[in-house]
Amino acid sequence: MMTLIRRELLDNLMTFRFAAATFITLLLVVANTFVLIIDYERRLASHNDAVKMHQRQLQEKITYSAGEVRVDRPPNPLSIFNVGFDKRLGNEIEVSHKLVPSLWDAGMHGSDNPFMDMFASMDIVFIFEVILSLFALIFAYNAFAGEYESGTLRLVLTHPIGRGKILVAKYLSAMLCLIVPLLMSLLLSIILLTTSTSISLNSDDFLRIGGIILTSVAYLSVFYLIGLLISAATRRTSTALMLSMFVWGFLVLVYPNVILTVIPRPESPDALRTSAFNRIENIWETFDRERKHYLATDDFPGEDWGYELRGWGWRSEGFRDYPRILLYTYRSVMDFEGFGEKDEPKMPHAQKHFGFLGAQTIDAADRTWLIRKPALEEIFIQPANMERVWLKLSPVGVYDAATQAWAGTDLLGIRDFFHAARQYRQSLTNFFYDHKVFESRQWFSGDKGAADWSGLPQFAFQRDDINTNAKRALPDVFLLLMLNVVLFIVIFLIFVKSEV
Amino acid sequence: MIWHIAKRELSNNLNSLRFALATVLLLGLMLTNAVVHLREHPERVKRYRENVSNHQNHIAAHASNGLYDLAQEGPGNLYKKPSDLRFCAEGGEAFMSDRAQAGYHRWSTGTLKSFWILAYPSATPNRDNVRPEVTKVDWGFIIGYVLSLVALLFTFDSISGERERGTLRLTLSNPIPRHTVLIGKFLGAFISVSIPFILAVLVNLLVISTSSGVHLDAEAWGRLGIIFFVAVLYTGLFLALGMLVSARVQRSAVSLVILLLVWVVFVVFMPSTLASIAGRSTSSGPTYDFSERSWKLHEELSSDYYSSHYKEPEGSTKRIEIDGAYVTKDAEQQERLHAERLNRRIAEVHRARTITRISPVTIVQNLIESFAGTGFERHLQFLENVQTYAREFRTFIVDTDSADPESLHIFGVRTGMSQEPVNPEAVPKFEDTLNLSRDFNTAATELLLLTLFVLVLLSGAYLAFVRVEV
Repeated sequence: MMTLIRRELLDNLMTFRFAAATFITLLLVVANTFVLIIDYERRLASHNDAVKMHQRQLQEKITYSAGEVRVDRPPNPLSIFNVGFDKRLGNEIEVSHKLVPSLWDAGMHGSDNPFMDMFASMDIVFIFEVILSLFALIFAYNAFAGEYESGTLRLVLTHPIGRGKILVAKYLSAMLCLIVPLLMSLLLSIILLTTSTSISLNSDDFLRIGGIILTSVAYLSVFYLIGLLISAATRRTSTALMLSMFVWGFLVLVYPNVILTVIPRPESPDALRTSAFNRIENIWETFDRERKHYLATDDFPGEDWGYELRGWGWRSEGFRDYPRILLYTYRSVMDFEGFGEKDEPKMPHAQKHFGFLGAQTIDAADRTWLIRKPALEEIFIQPANMERVWLKLSPVGVYDAATQAWAGTDLLGIRDFFHAARQYRQSLTNFFYDHKVFESRQWFSGDKGAADWSGLPQFAFQRDDINTNAKRALPDVFLLLMLNVVLFIVIFLIFVKSEV
Repeated sequence: MIWHIAKRELSNNLNSLRFALATVLLLGLMLTNAVVHLREHPERVKRYRENVSNHQNHIAAHASNGLYDLAQEGPGNLYKKPSDLRFCAEGGEAFMSDRAQAGYHRWSTGTLKSFWILAYPSATPNRDNVRPEVTKVDWGFIIGYVLSLVALLFTFDSISGERERGTLRLTLSNPIPRHTVLIGKFLGAFISVSIPFILAVLVNLLVISTSSGVHLDAEAWGRLGIIFFVAVLYTGLFLALGMLVSARVQRSAVSLVILLLVWVVFVVFMPSTLASIAGRSTSSGPTYDFSERSWKLHEELSSDYYSSHYKEPEGSTKRIEIDGAYVTKDAEQQERLHAERLNRRIAEVHRARTITRISPVTIVQNLIESFAGTGFERHLQFLENVQTYAREFRTFIVDTDSADPESLHIFGVRTGMSQEPVNPEAVPKFEDTLNLSRDFNTAATELLLLTLFVLVLLSGAYLAFVRVEV
């Protein structure tokens, strides 16, 4: 057995294709890691700028109602391996009592030149997707077909060795050869990562990278086995080679890009959207009625929501809706620096009103979210998940999904941030209640001391731990492993039954 | 004799597995492309028509309110006409806005309103798109990636394979010059790659042109002809590359490995890596810098204005003049700022695109984009049209105003301008047009570059084949 493996290993190692595979993979991975690290550093700088700017803008506001608490999603360092949704989806969001924040309400800060986005960027997993699969097929196409043709297979089989052993020996030795460029290039890129000062990887990150490596090996093995299958089935090197290349072109190049346009479009969920939006509209109409009712029936004459306060500053209020993403908010801002003397008796009334309004707004926003959440799920997430399932019919899709999950740049990983933002909103509103912020004079006026932003709860977003990543990635990893086992069994059956 | 060799090569290929697979692959892709285009294009055209009629209604509505209103509001949003040949190249259209704002308002005080300026909104695709991202299957993709791969798979063994089998020696023992053999082989491979491609293109065009929703005019067919020619040239490039490597290398397996590596590096990786490298040198300040600068300019101007405005008595011509100067100067300043930012962005993209031209696939995709009327060059042409139109519109306002003898000819203030009603028919309308000769000019460099690549590789293949030992 060992002799067999050694023979095969030597056969593979001494070839031109091995040298070429190692060289090209190293070259591409190292060159791209450089570019990707610089890109990451730029995104990180832009993130830090945004955090600073949002803080500055908040501190400048002297009233609570005018302040906008914005939180920013930091770029994920593992996006270097698989960028996933990290660059695409929104990375800043306003957290306020007015709206339960979700992915769809997020804004984007970043590059100043949106045209530059048209140049596709690529990550290390993409390089592996294309290159490793190609090399695996190039290594496999003549594994059997070549030996049939040269007659060495017959020679080997005259020895008292089981066919299964020969198969295993071939598989192991080729995989050993193929793993060399994979590991070497990943090692180099990790070294580059650790030398960069702005990227700090913790032990969990290294485990995640370990997961990515494991998935890459499984992916590599799938393509090697596909090549082996073709080689065993066709028995001629030229046919095997040609077939392998077309299979590669189909699985890697054509299928992932074509399938989404070919599958039937899910019915446009307009009915669902309209009904959900109507219910949300109802909530806010009720809110508006209650608000007006309060203004009409309270001790203060007149229905002006600003209590006819005349001072130095500005005020605005209004509803805003965006049916496409089921957004509906009410916003009332009053930002005054001082008042005339006549206004002082109106103050308690205004304060009481804003206290009422704050609680009502929170309540309406919470009830909106109960409708909005499942509707958004159904309108946006489910069709997208359906499409991801279609993509997984090619090993490339499975590999991509699994590595995204490991890196935490998949949709779930990004949504974790918005989950954290929602929790932060909860603590923010609790803070507002506890400190009677809505009823305070600082809610609308800075004349008796400005709003105190320093006591605000701090937002902290930690990426989930490795367990969550593993839980999300493992189904796809198992899918790849299953595919491996199935392919191996088929090849074994073909090989055992074939005549030499 | 050339023809004889080509025929032999052709008949060899026609019976092969790769010919069948290539035909199926190309046919499938082209059919998908046609079906998707038919599904999406009518929608696009409809949206464009709606937008254009909105634009015209906007103008008519403001024209009936008088000249000041028209001059203050501006012509409104101007829309980019979708190309009928969008199926040839998607051209990153998602990253370019389909409109320019010619009515961008910023402020109003009690009596004054800011005049319109030309602003260039940026497209913000995918902000809430949670669907997986895929490349659009357009002709650019099919030709750039799939056809080039097919061309390599047809030629990697054209010489080395014959040498392995020994038939090359046999051929060369006949009194035929080597270049005749080479040209014959090239032609044979060329025809055998062209057959599936032409078949696929014909099916594609048949499906598209017979549909009622999409209309292709004579110019579009001319453009398609040029795109087809580009595709043929590009195929020739990869065929020549395949023959070059095949002649130099002893074994066809090695030849294929080399060719695939070259293909992967130049076609798959080079464009995006180079673009990222080019893009990295062009980091400019974040977006909010721009709004701060714009705000500061405006502040400076308005503090000057307020200091002089109140010195003049109310209702005097002098005061109207100061008001008018303030409004027009502000509009000019802000518009220049927007134009500067646009030009800086364009320059950055141009730099990045120049670098990516080392890769033949980028060249060919740029060419297809230019002739299909999509992509970046097309966007620039649209912006140029918009700017020309903005000038035309402003000239119209000035002319209409100067035709009225009662007007004070002071722009920017209601009382300073003509009070006569404006005929909505007379106001210039924006029509986005495409110009084939302009497209030719922008594409000329790339066309020459591609031809140069083909010639270099062909002569390389010739030299390699002449010196080869059998």
